[in-house]
Amino acid sequence: MSFVEFRFLWFFLLVFIVYWTMRNNAARKLWLLLCSYAFYAAWNWKFAFLLLGSTTVDYIVGQLLGRTESTAWRRLWIAASVCVNLGVLGFFKYFNFFISSASGFLAWIGLPASVNTLNIILPVGISFYTFHSMSYTIDVYRRKQPPISSFTDLALFVSFFPPLVAGPIVRAVYFLPQLISPKKFSNVDVRGAVMLFLAGFIKKACIADGVAPTVDRYFAHPANFTPTSAWIGVLFYAIQIYCDFSGYTDMAIAAARLLGYQLPNNFQFPYFARNVSDFWRRWHISLSSWLRDYLYIPLGGNRGSRGFAYRNVMITMLLGGLWHGAAWTFVVWGALHGTALLIHREWIRLTEGLKWAGHAMRWLAWPITIYAVCVAWIFFRAHDLNTAGTILKQFTLFHGGGDQHFHRWLLLLVGALALIHWLNSRRWFAESWRHWPAPIFAAAYGCTFAVVLLFVPPHYTPFIYFQF
Amino acid sequence: MPGRELVSKVPVEPPPPHEATGRKTLIRAVANSVIGLTAFLVTCIGLRAILPFPEIDGGVSQKFRFFAAHKDEFDTLFIGSSRIYFQISPAIFDRVTGESGLPTHSFNFGIGGMYLPETAYLLEQILNLKPRNLRRVFIEYDELQTKWSPENQTSRRALYWADWKRVSLLLRKLTDTGAAPFWLPNPTTLRDIVLHHKDEKSTRRLLTFYAGQFEKNYTNVARATDVADYFLSRDTKERSASYLGAASDGYVTRPNRMSPGQVAAYERSLATATAQARTRPLSPYAVEAYRQCAQEVRNVGAVPIFLITPSMTQIDVAAETTGLPGVVMAFNDPRAYPNLFRAGVRRDGQHLTKSGAEEFTRIAAANFVELARAGDIR
Repeated sequence: MSFVEFRFLWFFLLVFIVYWTMRNNAARKLWLLLCSYAFYAAWNWKFAFLLLGSTTVDYIVGQLLGRTESTAWRRLWIAASVCVNLGVLGFFKYFNFFISSASGFLAWIGLPASVNTLNIILPVGISFYTFHSMSYTIDVYRRKQPPISSFTDLALFVSFFPPLVAGPIVRAVYFLPQLISPKKFSNVDVRGAVMLFLAGFIKKACIADGVAPTVDRYFAHPANFTPTSAWIGVLFYAIQIYCDFSGYTDMAIAAARLLGYQLPNNFQFPYFARNVSDFWRRWHISLSSWLRDYLYIPLGGNRGSRGFAYRNVMITMLLGGLWHGAAWTFVVWGALHGTALLIHREWIRLTEGLKWAGHAMRWLAWPITIYAVCVAWIFFRAHDLNTAGTILKQFTLFHGGGDQHFHRWLLLLVGALALIHWLNSRRWFAESWRHWPAPIFAAAYGCTFAVVLLFVPPHYTPFIYFQF
Repeated sequence: MPGRELVSKVPVEPPPPHEATGRKTLIRAVANSVIGLTAFLVTCIGLRAILPFPEIDGGVSQKFRFFAAHKDEFDTLFIGSSRIYFQISPAIFDRVTGESGLPTHSFNFGIGGMYLPETAYLLEQILNLKPRNLRRVFIEYDELQTKWSPENQTSRRALYWADWKRVSLLLRKLTDTGAAPFWLPNPTTLRDIVLHHKDEKSTRRLLTFYAGQFEKNYTNVARATDVADYFLSRDTKERSASYLGAASDGYVTRPNRMSPGQVAAYERSLATATAQARTRPLSPYAVEAYRQCAQEVRNVGAVPIFLITPSMTQIDVAAETTGLPGVVMAFNDPRAYPNLFRAGVRRDGQHLTKSGAEEFTRIAAANFVELARAGDIR
C-alpha cells in the first residue's frame, strides 16, 4: 500500500476518523499500532513478525540497560542490540551480495568457488525501521533517553506507519516524548498538512512518475542513445529521485501531522547546495544526521589528525552508500560523495583567505556541485558498473552512444521544473490559502486534487526508496 | 489576602467553552471535509463530461473516431479481439452477402488484445453514437478473463473501460459471488483469497488492481494528454491508415505463416484439442456481460450475433450450451471446418493467415446469409 494509491486514502480515512473519535490516549496509540502493523502486513504479513521481533529485542535491551550501571554489562547489551539489528539487516539485505562478491573475488584471484545464494525477499523498509529501533537502544545506552516502560509505545515508535517504509528516519529522542501527551485535534494544522500532502503527491505521482518512463528507457540501454539524451536521462533521474523521495517524505510528514505527530524534515532544497557538504545538510537529512551521530562521531569524527578525520568521512560515506542497496554501484556512489566531501574540505583549507577563490566559487560552486551530484547519481541508478561506465563516458566526455534520442524540448522541462523549484525556495508561492475561509479552502482543495489527477500516469511506479 | 482565598475556593468546573469549541471544531471539520469531497467529485464528473474520448493505443481511438465520423454508413459491425481484427474482411463479407441478395456494409471494430470487458465498454460507446442504420452486431465469443498480470496493464488502455458495469462483473467473478444482489462471496473462495490458497494466490492483488482501475478511471487519472492530443490533432492519416486498413473498413491483414517447428507443435495441439469433448460453457459472469451487450444492441434496433472464431482456445466450447443471449455462429469445430484449421492457413493457434482469414470471412458470410434466410437472426 503506497501513499499515492487510492486504497491508502481509504485506509488513512479509517485510521484518522477512528483515531480522533477516541478520547483515551492509550487507546489511540494502540489503534495506531494496530493500523501500522496492518499497513506493513499489506506488503507481506510474515515480515510483520520480523518487525515485532526487532522491537521486542530492543525493548528488552532497553530494559536491561536501564537496570544496570555496570559499563561492561551496558556495553554487552548494546552490542547485543546492534548485532541483532545489523545481523537481521545484513542477512536480508546483504547476504547474497557478500556471498556473490566473495565468489567473484575468489574467481578473480584464480580460486573459483561454488557458492550458492539464497532466495531472500527483502522486507520493505527494513533499513528504515532498523535505524529507528537502533536509535532507541543507542540513546538509552548513551543515557540520552530513559528506557521506556510501555512496550506498545516503543512498538508504535518503531512501526509508526507514515515513516515506516521510506523514512524520514525518526529517532527515539524525537518521537517517544510525543507519545506522552494526548493530542488535540484543534492543535493540528490541518490546512498545512493537507497542502503538504498535495505537494508531495504532485512531486511523486505527477513529476517523478511522469519522468520515470524516459529514465527507464535511457538507463535500460544507454549505449543506444546520444550524449545529449544521456544528459536528459541523467537530469531526469536527478529530478525523479528527488521528487520521488521528497514527495514520499512530504506525504509521510503530512499524514503524521494529521494524527498530531511531528516528523523531522528530510529535505531542504538539496539541488541548490553550493558544495557537497551543504548537499548532505539538505538531502535525506535524517539519514545524514543519523550517520553523523551514530557512526561518524563514534568513529572519532573530526578529532585527531586530518587523515584520521578523512578516513572517518570515507567509512561513513561508504557505509551510507551500502545502506542504500547491496550492490557495488551504491558503494561507488558513497565513495564518490566521500571523495567529493574530502576535496571540498581540502579546497576550503587550501584557499582560505584567497579572495579570487571566493569570487570564483560564487559563480562556480553551484554548477560544480550539481554536476558532481549528477555524476554520482549515474552510479546510484545504473544496473551495474559497466553500464555506469558507459553513461559516465556519454555524460562527461560527450562520447559514445547510438543514434536514439529524446526530444530536446525535454531539457526545457528540466529548466521549467528547476525554475519552479527555485521560486519555491524563495517562498515565491505565497501561503495566501492560509487566510481563505475554510469552506473556500476545502472546495478549492477538492477541485485542485481532481485536476492534479489528470496529470498522474496510468500506472503506479513504486517509490524508489522502498527497495532500500 | 481574603480575596485570594475566596478565589482559590471557587470550585473548578470543566470548562464548557472548551467543550463547545471542540464540538464546533469537529462539526466544522466534518462540514469542510464534505465540501472538499463534494468539490472533488463534482470536478471529476465535470471533467469527465467535457473530456474527449481518450487517446487509446492499439487503434482504439482511430477506429472510434473513424466510426463516429461514418457511423450512419454501416449496417453491420464486427467487434472483438485480434481474432476479429485480422480475420474478418468486411469487403469480402459484403461481397458475399451482396451476391446472395442480402447486401450489407460492414465495419471491423476488432482490436488486438481486446478482451470482453473492453469489448463490452467499447460497444456501449459505439452504440451511444446512435448509428442510425446499424442492423446487426457480430460480437466475438470470449470468456470473461480476470487473471491478467497487473504488471503488464500499465497503459491507459487498461483503464478507460473500467466502469462499474465491467469492474463489478470482474470483482464478482474473482470472489465467486454469483448473481446474488448482495454479493455474497463463496466462503471457501473467500478463505482461499485471504490465505492466498490454491488458485487464489493472486486474487487479492487482482481485486485491488481492478478496484484501483475503476477509481482511476472515474477520477480521470492520466487524462491530461487527451486534452493536448485533442487540440494538437496528433492522429495523422498514416497512423489511422495503419489501423483502419487499406479499405478503411477496419480490417488489417497479417500475412506471416508458422515455421515448420511451429507447424509440428500446432498439429500436436490440434489433435489433442480435437479429441476433447466440446462441453465448456461460458461462466455466468460472461453470460451476464453478453446479456448486457445484447440488450444495448437491441436498444438501438440492431441484432446481436455471437461469433465463436476458429481458435485453438475455443475448440472445447460447446456452442449449444454457451448460454449466449442471441444467435451463435460457431466455427470452432475442426471436424466441421477443417479448412480453417489447416496449418497452411494459420499464423498460430489463435489466428489465421490472410488467405485463411478470407476463407473464414466467406464461410461466415455464407453462414450468416443462411441463418438470415431461415429467419433465425432476429
